[in-house]
Amino acid sequence: MAKFRCIAVAALLISTLAPALVQAQSGSIPYTEGNLLHIPRIDVEGYGSLEVDLVLVDAANLVYALQAANTTTATFAPSATFDLDTNILSIPLLQADGEFFSVNLILQDGTNFQVTSSDEATLVGQDEYNTQCASCHGTDGQGAAVAVSMVNCANCSSIDTLSNYIANVMPLGAPDTCTGTCASDVATYIDTVFQVDNSPMVQQTISAIQSMPLDETLRKASLQLVSRLPTETESNLVETQGEAGLLSVLDSMMTEEAFYDRVAEIFNDLILTDRYLTINGTPGEALNLMRGVFPDAFWFGDPQTTEIDAEYISNLFITNDSVAREPLELVNFVVENELPMTEILTADYFMVNPYSAKSYGVFDELNFQNEYDADEWLPAQLEDVEFTTRQGNTISLGDIPHAGLFTSLMFLNRYPTSDTNRNRGRSRVVYDLFLDVDILALEGSRPDGEAVDISSPAPTLDNDDCVVCHGLLDPVASSFENWTENGFYIPQLPWYDDMFQAGFAGVDRPDSEEPQSLQWLAGEIAKDPRFNDAMVRIAYFGLVGREPLDPPGEDGTTAEWDAYNAESVHLDELKAAFAADNQNLKTLIKEIVLSPYWRAEGLEDESFAIIHEDTGAARLLSPEMLHRKIGALLGFEWRGMLDFYYLTKNMDNQARLLDDRQFYQQIYGGIDSFVVTQRLTEPNGLMVYVQERMANELACYAVPNDFLAPAGERLLLPFVEPNMQPVGLSNQNAIMNNIQYLHSHLLAEDLDIGDPELQTTYELFTSVWQAGESAVNVTETVELPPLCQRSRDLETGANLAEPLINDPDYVIRSWMAVTAYLMSDYRFVYE
Amino acid sequence: MKRRSFIKALTGFGVAGALPMTLVKPAFGATADRFLVTISATGGWDPTSLMDPKGNAPRSDGLGPVNNFAASAIKSAGNLVYAPYSDLVQPPETDSAGHFDNFFQKHYERLLVINGIDTQTNGHDSGRRFVWSGKLEEGYPTVAAMAAAPFADQPMAFISNGGYDFTTSIVAPVRTASAGTFNALAYPNSQFPADEDLIDVSFFSNASYDLVQQAREQRLTRQIIAESLPKRQQQMTQLQTVRNSDVELQDLLEFLPEEVSSGLAGQAEIAIAAFASGLAVSANLSAGGFDTHGDHDDDHTTSLTELLEGIDHLWEQIEAQGMQDKVTVVIGSDFGRTPFYNTGDGKDHWNITSVMAMGAGITGNRVIGATDENFEAIPLNESSLQPDDNGIIITPQHIHRSLRDFLGIDSDLDNLFPINAEKLDLFS
Repeated sequence: MAKFRCIAVAALLISTLAPALVQAQSGSIPYTEGNLLHIPRIDVEGYGSLEVDLVLVDAANLVYALQAANTTTATFAPSATFDLDTNILSIPLLQADGEFFSVNLILQDGTNFQVTSSDEATLVGQDEYNTQCASCHGTDGQGAAVAVSMVNCANCSSIDTLSNYIANVMPLGAPDTCTGTCASDVATYIDTVFQVDNSPMVQQTISAIQSMPLDETLRKASLQLVSRLPTETESNLVETQGEAGLLSVLDSMMTEEAFYDRVAEIFNDLILTDRYLTINGTPGEALNLMRGVFPDAFWFGDPQTTEIDAEYISNLFITNDSVAREPLELVNFVVENELPMTEILTADYFMVNPYSAKSYGVFDELNFQNEYDADEWLPAQLEDVEFTTRQGNTISLGDIPHAGLFTSLMFLNRYPTSDTNRNRGRSRVVYDLFLDVDILALEGSRPDGEAVDISSPAPTLDNDDCVVCHGLLDPVASSFENWTENGFYIPQLPWYDDMFQAGFAGVDRPDSEEPQSLQWLAGEIAKDPRFNDAMVRIAYFGLVGREPLDPPGEDGTTAEWDAYNAESVHLDELKAAFAADNQNLKTLIKEIVLSPYWRAEGLEDESFAIIHEDTGAARLLSPEMLHRKIGALLGFEWRGMLDFYYLTKNMDNQARLLDDRQFYQQIYGGIDSFVVTQRLTEPNGLMVYVQERMANELACYAVPNDFLAPAGERLLLPFVEPNMQPVGLSNQNAIMNNIQYLHSHLLAEDLDIGDPELQTTYELFTSVWQAGESAVNVTETVELPPLCQRSRDLETGANLAEPLINDPDYVIRSWMAVTAYLMSDYRFVYE
Repeated sequence: MKRRSFIKALTGFGVAGALPMTLVKPAFGATADRFLVTISATGGWDPTSLMDPKGNAPRSDGLGPVNNFAASAIKSAGNLVYAPYSDLVQPPETDSAGHFDNFFQKHYERLLVINGIDTQTNGHDSGRRFVWSGKLEEGYPTVAAMAAAPFADQPMAFISNGGYDFTTSIVAPVRTASAGTFNALAYPNSQFPADEDLIDVSFFSNASYDLVQQAREQRLTRQIIAESLPKRQQQMTQLQTVRNSDVELQDLLEFLPEEVSSGLAGQAEIAIAAFASGLAVSANLSAGGFDTHGDHDDDHTTSLTELLEGIDHLWEQIEAQGMQDKVTVVIGSDFGRTPFYNTGDGKDHWNITSVMAMGAGITGNRVIGATDENFEAIPLNESSLQPDDNGIIITPQHIHRSLRDFLGIDSDLDNLFPINAEKLDLFS
């Protein structure tokens, strides 16, 4: 009878209660939150498994009432059980306020359960985790800047995988302290307590994002990745083949030169080696770094003794920038050839073009197709290198053991060292950029204002306050021991014995690897799953415009945790796809472009607004991105009046959004990779003035320029003519059609012809026209504003057969007003 | 007709959404009457080469002399002492405003020097952060941002020329370029903004331009209402906030010299013009070249000359605008440099440094704090500020605790980024 009653109860639960929204916490074990007691799985013998929510109705007697229930196939051990004979609900593991308990409840009449016993429970591995792992990963497993979250971590695919990783690598610097049973227990604990998996809340959070349609995704990707609009063929492919078509188009785009400019820009935003470009420093700065080892650095003439003429300046600038671009060209080489991204560290070569090859003295050993093509890059190796000391002595250095970015002259100089720093600065950068670990976050554990005792001879070796950081930092720092503060390789240099010696993740570098220490380090990092985290972070930052969310910390709100958990699961999927395809960056980029976080354009459910307050890739365009967008949409860049464009089109210092000395690159939030290294992501007062001037100037240039071309070749005004006044239905329809086209072309806003927004724009056109047309020859001239007039060809500077000087009907100026209106719009300056 | 009135926003955004409005409104009045300039000698200056000289006596540990000049050659101006030039370098021209003699003799009565400050780090980033925010760890805004935060709705409230300009979004940093750019931005509808005779030649007639601007504002309002993605809606609101203040950027042009200088002097000219025109409240200026790991004496002399020339020029700008009683200037660096030379005649990073201050509220001709012959910090008595074996070592925390009190930093902001250090009367 009892059994029957309980089965009936179970059936009742299933049949009468609607499934409730179950909010998962950090793991899938039973937990309490406020008055709620959530049990992800209760096994009922002979029946099956239920997911149940109970709510506290009588705090004095610990009575819970059933609130929701559903069948479940979730796997979880140890699961809760319900004994049909005794009516006892036994929960062997329950998390409440960060503590664990074993709890029994008894089913009373109806659907109420009363707690009959509760005992503290200690999970296998819990003590070891709290002792050895929690200081970095957090007792909640959510990690911190210095250590990754345990939620779906890179090594958490199975308990065995995690156990092996812990046994061999963790804790960093002391892996011997947790091996065998300890490792397997901790792995079990992490798997039991911290795995979010695809909890309902995670899935609901991600599903709440409304993604933009594929055609908009194509446009956005095209502008962002290759700085142009999609072709008709590409649009058709996406329209007919959907997502497969988009992927195919992306594959094709990622062969274009513009894509590699973008990849270099994304990586430079974090690596910052463009600091040595001429535009960001002084002429020849990169070449000056080569003195002492590379006598041909200034192969085109010593600056102290050579007559400076135009050819010299040209060679100086091109060669300097070729040397400066070497690390980013390595990144491009790896991406282009779809090599595993670890190759940016493990490459036993570096990149040169004909100009930099001459500086490094390797030109004759390479087969360049065109000696004067600065875009032709080849891998090279440095052999039999000699170093000349200040005293003029020559030391043979032998062959250089290249290790990708680590041994790049630019990278090493960008992150210099000193006798006192001992490569620790370089080590910090290695952790940050290639392991996604912020060593500086460890500072937070230091008591504020309390000096650390450094009385021992080597506190970084024997003072726990120091070792917590230096135990990680110094083995990597020591791995740079053969590389000087100037970035040169000098093997067998004496190294300090009062710091941790070369190694990584608890493994000492073998003595036999000492001459090629950085190659060994690169190989070790390449095996570390955190490298994948680092690549996902760089690509996500570049494409989405912000870093992945940090764990909200113990004061985080539920919404913040939901946002973080959902994004973490999503990033984990991206990471898995990247790893599965041989760490191919193109695959990662495609995954990001297809992801709801990149394509977000709204919310399916407004109740998720708080959770998704930072979701989406909408961003204020950087000056460089805005510069390229203008070029793509208008057919020319912002470089001043178009009659002189044939002169300015190749002059970097004339590009309004690229030059920081005369124009707006810095004002508009750009970086110089040296003093200013972080982009502004929110507009300030000066920036909106830049937007306004941009819109006014470019409208003045673009509209007359467009009217010079036949209608079929125009980018902005294909449906109208410069004398087409808004009079008569035919003209009015044509003008409205062109306005519809402009909203789509400039703003990616596809509106029906009856949309009120188009009507508003039309009214702007007619208002300007009416006021202007009646004022021509009264307060307005027939002529266009001087800078808007055209008498020379855009590309060649040749005189135009039919200059465009006048605007007697005020139509051109009316279109200028509409264009300025649209080009200062949110949808133009943001993307 | 010149378009003198703008309906634009120059205000940096970032405050309203992040902090209670009580934190972003000035406690008194709407106009700033105190201004702050911070000057960062980026890279880590060597106080022993300037305001805390030691001389060339050999160190007992054999590491060599601290300086390459005799202790007997050390000079003074009032109560301040300053370094002579190294025996190994060519001093700057004797009429240079950056020559040590000229600088200290001209300014000592207004200069406060604080020596023996322990930055507790020798990392550039962390040193810069500690010296300019008072917090070694990440997360605190630079003091210049805190000074500007109550006036965040003013255009260019906080001008940044690089260095440590982290603001925690209490005010947006505004970066500047050459003076010519201000003409173009002050008159965005002018085709020839730099030419006084042609400045009225516009892209659009006033009537047309008014229509465009009106349409743009109305559309942004519609977009904000219609947007469903929170992030985009927030961005649109930010854009509207920035656009919606009534500012006369042209005023700044009236306070700028006809030819704006380059380098630190140019930064100073723009900062003071922005103060005088009511557009800015604080500015961080920066001068580089101090990270002299090699050839220290030569390179440091060059950098110090440029720094002192810039400070002198800044003061002349302040005086020209009659703002001596309103502008406080604080000069500091990432940390100090080793009290010995490395094998490349350079000096590496050292955690002891100095700070100088001058201007509004500062009593000059004073030196607080001290270091020993090996350039180690000497503890000070908390009350007398005199050397005391039982005293405390000054850190940037003490500097900022005192500086915040001195500047009258908003108490809510002060509480939001607390500094729990002894209150020393360093500045007043």
